Amino acid sequence: MEKTIGEIRMENRNRVVARWLLGLLLLVLFILPWTLGTYVTWTASNILILALYAAGFNILFGYSGLLSFGQAGFYAIGAYVCAKILLGTSFLLLGFLGGVLAAGLAALIIGFLCTRHTQIYFAMLTLSFGMMIHSIIWKWRDVTGGDDGLVNVPRAPLAIPGLFSIDVSSVESYYYVVLVIVALGIFLLWRMVNSPLGLALQGIRDSEQRVAFSGLSIQKFRLIAFAISGMYAGMAGSLMVPLLKSADPGMAHWTASAEPLMATLLGGIYNFAGPMVGAFILYVAKELIARYTEYWSMVLGFTVVVLVLGFRGGVVSVLQGLLFRRTGTVSKRGVDA
Amino acid sequence: MKRRGLVTLLVLLVSASLLVAGCGQGSGTKATGGASDSKAKELPLGVEVIKIGVQGVLSGSHADYGRQIQMGATLAAEEINGAGGILGSKIELKVMDDELNANVAQKNARYLVSDWGANFIVGTDSSGVALSLGPILKELDTIQIFTHAATEKLTEDLVYKQGIKQIFRTAVPVYQDAIMAAYVFKDMPEVKRFAALNADYEYGHTSWRMFKETLSKFRNDVEFVAEANAPFWTADFTPHLSKLMAAKPDVIFATPWGGEAVMMLRQAVSMGVFEQIDAWWQAMGGSVDVLEGLATDVKRDAFKGKLWGTGRYLHNWPDTPENKAFVKAFQQRWNRYPNYSAETTYSAIYMLKAAIEKSRSIKTGDVIKALEGLKIMTPAGERYIRPEDHQAVYNVPAGRVIFSSDYPIPIVGGDLKIVPADEYYRKPPFN
Repeated sequence: MEKTIGEIRMENRNRVVARWLLGLLLLVLFILPWTLGTYVTWTASNILILALYAAGFNILFGYSGLLSFGQAGFYAIGAYVCAKILLGTSFLLLGFLGGVLAAGLAALIIGFLCTRHTQIYFAMLTLSFGMMIHSIIWKWRDVTGGDDGLVNVPRAPLAIPGLFSIDVSSVESYYYVVLVIVALGIFLLWRMVNSPLGLALQGIRDSEQRVAFSGLSIQKFRLIAFAISGMYAGMAGSLMVPLLKSADPGMAHWTASAEPLMATLLGGIYNFAGPMVGAFILYVAKELIARYTEYWSMVLGFTVVVLVLGFRGGVVSVLQGLLFRRTGTVSKRGVDA
Repeated sequence: MKRRGLVTLLVLLVSASLLVAGCGQGSGTKATGGASDSKAKELPLGVEVIKIGVQGVLSGSHADYGRQIQMGATLAAEEINGAGGILGSKIELKVMDDELNANVAQKNARYLVSDWGANFIVGTDSSGVALSLGPILKELDTIQIFTHAATEKLTEDLVYKQGIKQIFRTAVPVYQDAIMAAYVFKDMPEVKRFAALNADYEYGHTSWRMFKETLSKFRNDVEFVAEANAPFWTADFTPHLSKLMAAKPDVIFATPWGGEAVMMLRQAVSMGVFEQIDAWWQAMGGSVDVLEGLATDVKRDAFKGKLWGTGRYLHNWPDTPENKAFVKAFQQRWNRYPNYSAETTYSAIYMLKAAIEKSRSIKTGDVIKALEGLKIMTPAGERYIRPEDHQAVYNVPAGRVIFSSDYPIPIVGGDLKIVPADEYYRKPPFN
């Protein structure tokens, strides 16, 4: 169907608004440590990491229709491998790389076993594998420190031997490391979901049989989504370790898997920005509520229920409806303007 | 059309900045407002309010330990403020839930110090959480007095070996559960076979290891015959108990604590364990929540006088005016007996008071110096803060759990064994 001039105008306008918003967001994020102090910077680092974690999780959840309860396992693998590397050497990037690769490898192996199933079977399998990782971390005390975890992990300098070395030991400077890596990670993810890969995943989600008839291997694509999602969890875990200077087995517990899930549900699952906006809302809401009451869990639970029921399809979908007009429903006034 | 887009954008911007302002909220409300500055300057410390952050677990099944921390801190602050504060400056508390989670505890510490403006922090229940907080306290350059977390690594490794001077601890570390137990059983030659029901995490494993090491130094006729490991959240201890009983032990050494300890002991009674053993060592059996939980069983002598326990403080010991006054005040304020995490936190606040008065400063470096080597009378008796590892040294006895007509709940009060803490604590250089 040919697009009308009005529709093209509207699309252009939406694109311009989106770019402005993105630019504004990046600007705010860039100047944040200078203006809002260490605590907000630290909080922002946490939110950025949760956003990356949730965005990666949504490749599996929103785009592929697979609900995993084992994400925390990959997050923890990333965290522990990174912590081990940083306690041994002092190369930050090596720690990140190790964390991501280890989590990716674990996701490939576990994903191979899990992606043969869908729905509740898939959720239960991922839950068990996730808890298996938790048990290993808990029990393998010589290597992982048991329930004490690994502590006093240094915020090692960002360095490539012989080329450069930047000290990132302060919260503010480490924030920029997080910002750059999260931005890169999210950009890559954006490219992925808008590539044939993303299309195939959504196709499988919506109609498995149709995609199978068109000759694509369902399981292969699911495995790819699982591995990508695992790598992103590992990336988030390894970014968290230098921030906290420690890794603990609670990171791997299945209840921790609920964090990206909650963020995604809040923000909206069928939307690229959903999980990230959800991460922001979840973190800030909890932060503000915990400040005023010891019974924060009750208030937070209530808030989440209200948000999920009140913003059907997630906060982002509703905001999008307000900010951008849908090109398909262009009003007459819009064409005339 | 364009204008409407702009309006929406504006609305969005305003709400975003409101949210951001919400995050930063508090930075504008530091301790002293402009009007009271002149008054503050006249005070020796230069501040009207000394802010003390408190954190512990306030949600979930172990929440009572955090509540006790909160109650102890609140009572101390109310008493001190009622008597004129510290050199005229009042204490203000802010209590936060750490959910037994390292990430949350770090967030709390950062919020308390960077945003709320805490001068000091007290509390923390979990060992793992305490260890993860250590390096952050150094980064924030703020003193935290730990009042429950028991891992010896906190003081031995982080303070003594790695030099994080901002860490102090008022509670007895794991030495109490492990080494003190060895002192009890070294004088009971009739018991020879020991079996462990370990809490399956660092605390349980370390306690059992230290117990074996210490007892083996005193006696060469003991055998360690069996070991069972119960994970956190164990509800059914009977398979573990069966495993141990198959090895025919004389003594069971048990480290699961809190509500788990109550369940475990009840199950042991129903299995007839107490007919076959000579003694049961219950680490932290003197904890008020455990004693409350076991009240009816102790009353009907279900344990046949074979249940031994200790704590990090016992509300019925020592028989001093300080302790009596504390227990009375605590009961009046909260209508409960103080558990050890209440006493250790209460004493931590008084220790800070003593150190601030000594140094006439609230600067971290000055207060650290004043705390090191400090001797202070507390409800649990005299505490001495070892300068090398910042561990408070004080005596806590062990004994049989009995019913006394003086108290509505059982006490650790039979055959009390008192060993000078300096004798059984591990000492620097901690090899």
